[in-house]
Amino acid sequence: MHATVSAARGQSKKRQVRWESFFDLLTRWSFLMPTILVLTVTLAYPIFYTIEISFAEFDMSSFGAGEWVGWSNYREVIGDYRFWESLKVTLVYLAIALPLQITLGFAIAFLINAEWWGRGITRALFIIPMVVAPVVAGGMWRMILDPLWGLMNYALQSIGIGPLDWFGDPDLAMAAIIIIDTWRWTPFIVLIATAALLALPKDIFDAAKIDGAGCWSTLWSVALPLLVPIITATFVIRWLGAVKMFDIVLAATYGGPGKATNVVNLFIYEEAFRSLRFAESSAMAVIVLVLTMVLTGIFLRGSRKLEERF
Amino acid sequence: MTSIASPILKRRSGRLGHKVRIAAGVIVSLIFLFPIYWMVLTSLKQPVDIFTTPPTFFFEPTIATYVEYFRRADISRRLINTIIVAAGSGVLSIIVGSMAGYALARVRIRGATTMGLLILLSRGVPPIALAVPMFLVARKLGLTDKHITLILAYCTFLIPYVMWLMRSFFISLPRELEESAMIDGCSRYGAFLKIIVPISLPGLLSTLIFSMILAWEELLFALVLTNRYASTIPVAIAGIAGDTINGANWGALTAVGTITVVPVVIFALLVQKWLIRGLADGATKG
Repeated sequence: MHATVSAARGQSKKRQVRWESFFDLLTRWSFLMPTILVLTVTLAYPIFYTIEISFAEFDMSSFGAGEWVGWSNYREVIGDYRFWESLKVTLVYLAIALPLQITLGFAIAFLINAEWWGRGITRALFIIPMVVAPVVAGGMWRMILDPLWGLMNYALQSIGIGPLDWFGDPDLAMAAIIIIDTWRWTPFIVLIATAALLALPKDIFDAAKIDGAGCWSTLWSVALPLLVPIITATFVIRWLGAVKMFDIVLAATYGGPGKATNVVNLFIYEEAFRSLRFAESSAMAVIVLVLTMVLTGIFLRGSRKLEERF
Repeated sequence: MTSIASPILKRRSGRLGHKVRIAAGVIVSLIFLFPIYWMVLTSLKQPVDIFTTPPTFFFEPTIATYVEYFRRADISRRLINTIIVAAGSGVLSIIVGSMAGYALARVRIRGATTMGLLILLSRGVPPIALAVPMFLVARKLGLTDKHITLILAYCTFLIPYVMWLMRSFFISLPRELEESAMIDGCSRYGAFLKIIVPISLPGLLSTLIFSMILAWEELLFALVLTNRYASTIPVAIAGIAGDTINGANWGALTAVGTITVVPVVIFALLVQKWLIRGLADGATKG
């Protein structure tokens, strides 16, 4: 009798322990649960829905995915030269803007890191362009670059250049987009780079100086290898932002002239919400999604390799 | 002779180089600020002063454009909408996201790292891939043109952002803090709310402000998911900038642009120290 009581007591204790550990597990997961819940509804579900529509015929009456049509939307989109054009435009923008912004960002960071009483203020000033809404930046620069009344052409003409038709010439329009984007995003890189440059160990540079290393060789063989991790990280962050390019183009050129600055996001937006071709635009969105993921993976891999080499 | 002179010369040239560097830095920062200055200046001009060659720098300032646009119901309503949406999505994502960040930083859960990486990966999802299905679903459920729809849509990029910033922040805190609290009988939630949150308040606040700025500026989802009642300021600016039929309305563009930018700049400068730190951390540890 006594034995059974203690056994029962032991069992209940075991049960209690088990319940407690279950409760503990529940509490642990409850920290993550709200995020999982919200992102499942707002992020995961839409992605799957996009994939579903991209394989279906769009049913206008029910305003949703209709009959399954397999790869036909994809075939149509891949055969559409306008989609390729927009991808090409995006690629040109990325290939010029990203290296430009990162080089410029680190160069400016070096300049404003000079020690003097106004250093903190100068650095804080760089926050201001960074928080200007991209759509405002696009509109504002559209005014500055206006061929007729704009300040830029006035300034350029006073030194004998122009007048330049910023939004009429395809190449100049692309240049305008890159200028605006660079103005908006370089400050972001400047702020990261100033912190990174200040974190560099000073004694290494002193040692390099004592060893008689010149400016360039110090930069090339001492500073750069130390900066590689932060440069690659900045590149990846900036890349993730730049592939979403939409607001500035919409406000400044709306893809024009012709399709010269029609980045892929704007093209998909137009196809979906102006032409109401939801199935085709979903297929394009999925292609862009896959491309972005693959390239991001490659960049992350490459940056790790690059870090190992230095 | 030269051997004595050269160090002095070098130091002098170094000092000159230093001055040139400071001057160049100041000039570059002024160049970056100039477009904003020009926008604010233009917003205070009368139409006669806007369209001039050469551009005018000195004129009689007027706030006529502001008065006109604030009277227009749609700008003030958009302003209120933008505030509601920015505050709502900011607060929701700071609560949800910082809990997740804490879970990834401190609470040992099997599978949490994978989940975290998956959420991080979502930063690569182009918003247009979400905008299309969100529009269709919202339409079907009768949720278009509502604040809550926009708030939830903004969570898709704000929660991952908050989660990763706060994760790196929580990792930098000493582990003993909540361990001792939990030994003293605090529950896990007690330790989080009573110890971790108060200590992280500056970090949480600056992340909140930065999240609200991101929501404040968002265009694509606002364009797609709202049309009249819940529409935001960026949509108005896109409309004004894109309205080329009536000719460029620079007065409106710059006035509404200034209204959009000024509060954000004030907030950003208030938390600039934390903002810069957050950026640096986000780049190195994110």
